[in-house]
Amino acid sequence: MNVHAIRAIYGFELSRWFRTLGQSIASPIISTSLYFVVFGAAIGARMGTIDGVSYGAFILPGLIMLNLLNESISNASFGIYMPKFAGTIYEVLSAPVSALEVVIGYVGAAATKSVLLGLLILATARLFVDYNIDHPFLMLTFLILTALTFSLFGFIIGIWADGFEKLQVIPLMIVTPLTFLGGSFYSIKMLPPVWQKITLLNPVVYLISGFRWSFYGVSDIGVVTSLFMILAFLVACLVTAWWIFKTGYRLKS
Amino acid sequence: MFETVWATVNFSRGLFGKPCSAARVEEVLRAVSLWDKRNAKIMMLSGGMKRRVMIAKALSHDPMILFLDEPTAGVDVELRRGMWNMVRELRTSGVTIILTTHYIEEAEEMADRVGVINNGQILLVEDTATLMRKFGKRRLQIQLQAPLPSIPAALGNFELELSENGNELGYTFDAQSEGGGVASLLRRLGELGIEFKDLHSSESSLEEIFVNLVSKRR
Repeated sequence: MNVHAIRAIYGFELSRWFRTLGQSIASPIISTSLYFVVFGAAIGARMGTIDGVSYGAFILPGLIMLNLLNESISNASFGIYMPKFAGTIYEVLSAPVSALEVVIGYVGAAATKSVLLGLLILATARLFVDYNIDHPFLMLTFLILTALTFSLFGFIIGIWADGFEKLQVIPLMIVTPLTFLGGSFYSIKMLPPVWQKITLLNPVVYLISGFRWSFYGVSDIGVVTSLFMILAFLVACLVTAWWIFKTGYRLKS
Repeated sequence: MFETVWATVNFSRGLFGKPCSAARVEEVLRAVSLWDKRNAKIMMLSGGMKRRVMIAKALSHDPMILFLDEPTAGVDVELRRGMWNMVRELRTSGVTIILTTHYIEEAEEMADRVGVINNGQILLVEDTATLMRKFGKRRLQIQLQAPLPSIPAALGNFELELSENGNELGYTFDAQSEGGGVASLLRRLGELGIEFKDLHSSESSLEEIFVNLVSKRR
């Protein structure tokens, strides 16, 4: 295992994050704070509790997930797309680095950034809402697994994309709508029965539900099912990444 | 693009499995005269500096073999000399360097062995000294005291050329031959009473050898 190479890629990617702290940390924290002000304090104060949890606290796991998914995808996709765009990817491809080491470096860095951001949002939320974490270990597991999975997904998007527009298409057109419709701001039990069934086709529902369970012990879907779904998605992404390096798809062509 | 010179050179070193070494990276950056620019972003550098960054990246992981593809193309004379010195130092330290160049002067200056490629075909690979000896020509120019109307018949067995004004005789001979008959030519001139006031000898450059080799194939 080329540990120095993994460390080089990982460190290089993290330093990119620190170079753009305003964009990478301040922007998501400010926008999330606005959500808490509007939905938590202003509107949430006039709403009742959901499953015994105040509305402001109820939306917290969903808001963290929303940022986690977007940041994981955008960090990882941008991280691998830029070397492709600048032509420096050939240095990585010509170096004695295996596909696994490349993935660990890029995806590990993107996931680290997302987890740190998630924890920062969690800390910031303390200023606006009162919440508790019933299962902190499981909360961290969900946070890390989701960050890893979606960073890997972003990495695949970054390889697939052949223009900056494509980098944005999936996060904006698919992931964000799925997150909003995945129970970030409501319990799916509040939907009509037909829509409850349709919503179950949305994979993000499982992530938010499981994550929320780790906070308050309440969820729309069983926590084991949620864990299984995220692991299944992680495996699917791993297989895709393995195939990309095996075939050189959009890397060597 | 947005990274600093220091970061990108360190990145290359790690990528090729070498542990972090600030001292080695500093040494490399100083060797390519980029130490002052270590905190500059790559996008802010000139073309020549970017080329040196590429060389620094390649050197950072202490390679045994180094491929340099036209490293001095488009760089100024002073920098080119600096790069030549760097390549010489690397060669002395035991690094095998394969350098492609359109500047024949560069190959003549630095290479132990030269390969000539024309239309994708290797025409020859030879030690530079052997190549110069084998394919090179030497030329002796003789400034005459008095102009000659034509080359005397007695000098017919020498490959001579007379300048238009008749003041200079040019003698081209094989670089491989010892002296190439210069002594006998000068003796013969003395016998014929042709006096000269100055002599100048020159050797064909690698560039001339290259042009000669390539044109023969056309």
